[in-house]
Amino acid sequence: MKALVTGASRGLGQALAAGLAREGYNLIVDARDARALAGAGLDMASMIPGDVTDPAHRAALAAAATKEGLDLLVNNAGTLGAHPLPSLADYPADDLRATFEVNVIAPIALTQLLLPTLRKRGGAVLNITSDAAVEPYAGWGGYGAAKAALEQASNVLAAEELTIRVWWVDPGDLRTDMHQQAFPGEDISDRPLPAAIVPAFIRLITERLPSGRYRAADLL
Amino acid sequence: MTALDFALPAALEAHVPPEPRDAVRLLVSRRAADQITHHPFAAIPSLLRPGDLLVVNNSGTLPAAVGRIHFSSPRPDGSWLVEPRHHQNDAGVTSRTISMPGGAVLTMERQVSPRLWEARLSTAVVPYLLSYGKPIRYSYVTQEWDLAAYQTVFAQIPGSAEMPSASRPFTPAIVTELAARGVLIAPVTLHTGVSSLEVDEDPYPEPFDVPPAAARLVNHVRAAGGRVIAAGTTVVRALETAGTTGTVIPAAGWTSHVVTPETGVRVVDGLLTGLHEPRSSHLRMLAAFAGSALLSRCYEEAIRSGYLWHEFGDVHLLLPLRPR
Repeated sequence: MKALVTGASRGLGQALAAGLAREGYNLIVDARDARALAGAGLDMASMIPGDVTDPAHRAALAAAATKEGLDLLVNNAGTLGAHPLPSLADYPADDLRATFEVNVIAPIALTQLLLPTLRKRGGAVLNITSDAAVEPYAGWGGYGAAKAALEQASNVLAAEELTIRVWWVDPGDLRTDMHQQAFPGEDISDRPLPAAIVPAFIRLITERLPSGRYRAADLL
Repeated sequence: MTALDFALPAALEAHVPPEPRDAVRLLVSRRAADQITHHPFAAIPSLLRPGDLLVVNNSGTLPAAVGRIHFSSPRPDGSWLVEPRHHQNDAGVTSRTISMPGGAVLTMERQVSPRLWEARLSTAVVPYLLSYGKPIRYSYVTQEWDLAAYQTVFAQIPGSAEMPSASRPFTPAIVTELAARGVLIAPVTLHTGVSSLEVDEDPYPEPFDVPPAAARLVNHVRAAGGRVIAAGTTVVRALETAGTTGTVIPAAGWTSHVVTPETGVRVVDGLLTGLHEPRSSHLRMLAAFAGSALLSRCYEEAIRSGYLWHEFGDVHLLLPLRPR
């Protein structure tokens, strides 16, 4: 079984990639920071550092994934966007655009490239979303709107694609660098580490549950 | 008459959906006893045993006909196999692009058989069919019926060009009675293409999915001495694809596996199915379960007893040689 995990140098992406490796998956991983990726403890993985918003990088990922066929694409790479989190009234349009590039356009574009190989093997697309996609949290307008867009793209993809699974999963609050960025200076040590919720994802993936939106907590 | 070639009297074609659904007949052939019996379909819970596993196809029927185009099966590259239906005297496919309702355009890319073309629609096919399609209907069904008439109680994932009709007679009450008697039920998915193949033509590759939960159940039931009964030839195709080693391994993708007396069956013990047309590839699959001598007698009896053929017709339960 082969999986491609984007944004695997740290946080949830790193924990998911490590969990999939333990399940016997062959991995392709990417991250913008090549050194961080190399130090992420994913020694068996094929590492292709780069930025998911770069079409040439996406093409390189797709070429590697298509060579032997792919069973799972995890669109995990994401950005919080402008932070400290501005209200929408003050959200710089360029930051908003960049947030959508990373969180919406890049995963859709990467999925497009990989659909033929995923279809062939009855594969799956796993998109990481957030409760900010559905709840009106003040300050989360940029990130939340982008995740809402990703959720609806997932929803439509599931309706259009007969032969693959499409999951979009809210992992819940986690003790990650991204979460710390959203709450600068706050103690977030009460949030679980990403590794704690990896079993939820492994269950979803190995049981090949039906397409749809899931909360990781419900799968534990 | 042989098991594979016989004349089907026109009077034995089912023209309308039976109401209620379970108002059809059930022919049961037991290979171990070399015996044929007749039952109302509603008796099926008493014909299965506690600990048997009924594997059903949860593929839903698409309204797969738009005008004269029948959409059969998707292909991994996003194209579809389509069948342009035409009258004997018209010219058939004369243009590479066909304007479809709603402004969609169908591009015919390659003819792959006398009937089927590889084609590409300008929009996603499944949502398009759900908006613009009607259920595929052949001439023996004389009037249009709602899509609901073409769905089984197990339909979850729309994707079949034609109804997986073996499980059409099941009602919620029968499913409840099966569960209450201890018969297990597990779903697999196989999206079936159009059935209007040429005589002696094998089915085309079809997308299938045997999820881990179903695979585990099949292996467990067989190990425990229960029987795995496939509700439909589509289920046999999916399970035998995933079970070539004798153990079912979760699998998904496209299958080209064709079950015949030569390939045999490795993980399915019995089969519930409709009555099939002369010389269809399905009859070779049935012969793998019943043997050709018993199968011939079944079809002689079915014809003599006035059983009805096709998707709204009667059904046949083939029970295995191996006593369990």
